[in-house]
Amino acid sequence: MNSTVVHYLSQFQFFHQLLAMMGKEYLPLLSLIIFLLVVLIMLGALSLVGGLGTYAERKISADMQARYGPNRVGPFGLLQFLADGIKMFLKEDTVPRSADRLIFTIAPIFCLAGVFGTIAVLPFSSGFMLTDLNVGIFYLLGVSSLVGIGVFLGGYASNSKWSMLGGMRGASQIISYEIPVTITILAVVMLAGGLSLQTLVNSQGAAIWHWNFLHNPFMFVGFFIFFIGALAETNRAPFDLPEAESELVSGYHTEYSGMRFAFFALAEYIEIFVVCAVATALFLGGYHVPFGFGGEAPLGQVLQVVTFASKTFALYYVVIWVRWTLPRLRVDQLMTLCWKYLTPIALFNLIGTIIWLYLTNGRSIVALIFG
Amino acid sequence: MFAQILFILSALLAVAGALMVVFSRDIMHACIYLLASLVGVAGLYLTLGADFLAATQLVVYVGGVIILMLFAIMLTGGGREPSEKMKLLMQVPLMGSPRTYVLSFLALLVLSLTVGKLFVRVMEGFTSVDKLPYMGTVDSIGTLLVTKHVLAFEISSVLLLGALVGAAVIARPNKKRGAK
Repeated sequence: MNSTVVHYLSQFQFFHQLLAMMGKEYLPLLSLIIFLLVVLIMLGALSLVGGLGTYAERKISADMQARYGPNRVGPFGLLQFLADGIKMFLKEDTVPRSADRLIFTIAPIFCLAGVFGTIAVLPFSSGFMLTDLNVGIFYLLGVSSLVGIGVFLGGYASNSKWSMLGGMRGASQIISYEIPVTITILAVVMLAGGLSLQTLVNSQGAAIWHWNFLHNPFMFVGFFIFFIGALAETNRAPFDLPEAESELVSGYHTEYSGMRFAFFALAEYIEIFVVCAVATALFLGGYHVPFGFGGEAPLGQVLQVVTFASKTFALYYVVIWVRWTLPRLRVDQLMTLCWKYLTPIALFNLIGTIIWLYLTNGRSIVALIFG
Repeated sequence: MFAQILFILSALLAVAGALMVVFSRDIMHACIYLLASLVGVAGLYLTLGADFLAATQLVVYVGGVIILMLFAIMLTGGGREPSEKMKLLMQVPLMGSPRTYVLSFLALLVLSLTVGKLFVRVMEGFTSVDKLPYMGTVDSIGTLLVTKHVLAFEISSVLLLGALVGAAVIARPNKKRGAK
């Protein structure tokens, strides 16, 4: 098995003690058990992030509108998301009579599976990463497109006008905005010289001028294109047309209730985290700790996870901030923005990056000025 | 062992998905089963060590082709009720004479023998799945694409460009009709 986290843990004494206890021939089984444990921890942690995401959204929006927000359940209302979750569990799971039962059931699962599939390659630290696939970022793009199918099928299967319109908007938006995002990622991949997320992170450094985002002018623009495209792919405002409340009741999940609705909501909030994590890994220096504190020791790993998470949550805050600041775009403006502005700029960026790499031998702008 | 289990699971997914595509009465459901089949094929690529191909399979088929098919089905009003042709086929009673049955039996025999022979060869080679050395294929595919197979690469890109231009021409609003 080819897993980064198991490989990292196998350096320690307890791994060998366990192995000696079980017998040498059980090495694959032990690796599998450890891997599954880490996967469980990861799933739990990300579900928590998704749940706390809803809390953060409500609290931050309340703050921006000079309200209190949830403040009854637990300290500062922190347990509100648990209360919501229990309520979702207890609600009746209705399926409309004219809905397509099979697709209606399977659509939320597609959404959640697409998001959870991406966790496999997220680089939280140099050791704490489920697997460092050789085609990491490419795999991530492929798996996350399941979300688009889930949104579309959810809208189709409900057999309601609002859901149908929401689903169609969602799918067309996701496949359109995938293009500028992918082209921008391609430019980063060229800079790093590999598709694996470790390679992409390790091409950067801890200091801010070593980040890809400040590598050259094209990368700087590319970061914003990536961020706008990512906002659109996660159906967040100002691109939340698939679930525009004032036009479409609630969009593609109008007919859903109970846990199925919770699946859609959870998928959305975890996807925001995933997208922010990818932006951090590609442009903002990833898990590199300033001055390399801690090194390869467990303390270093903890610091790396903290660094990565703090950058990611800072971006998460920006996503929520943008949602409660900007008005929603119209459908035609959305498509115009993608096809007439973002895609040409992304293509220009790609060519610009190629020329930059050719002329400067891959050195960053700071290295050119000061070195 | 682990890779073999995954290989068998993805092969089963691919075959079962393909069978369900054929036997499904609802075209939208057929599309979902096709998705399962394609994911199974991606799993096959992955267990055989072709990681780049597997990821490409996911990006192209799951992200592109299936969504386009769903759009096409929905925009052309395909949908709920099984098509008329299907009903007609179901109504036709068992047809044929002893001659047709004998002929079809012989054809089936030849076919199954051929498939069986192929299958035996596959099964013999099957044990080597685990022993394949794991190595990245991205570098070698990239190098081959721009050296040995550069002509095929360029020709396919011209083909895609032609498709793009064609789509733009079809989608362009007709100005003459607009003027009337």
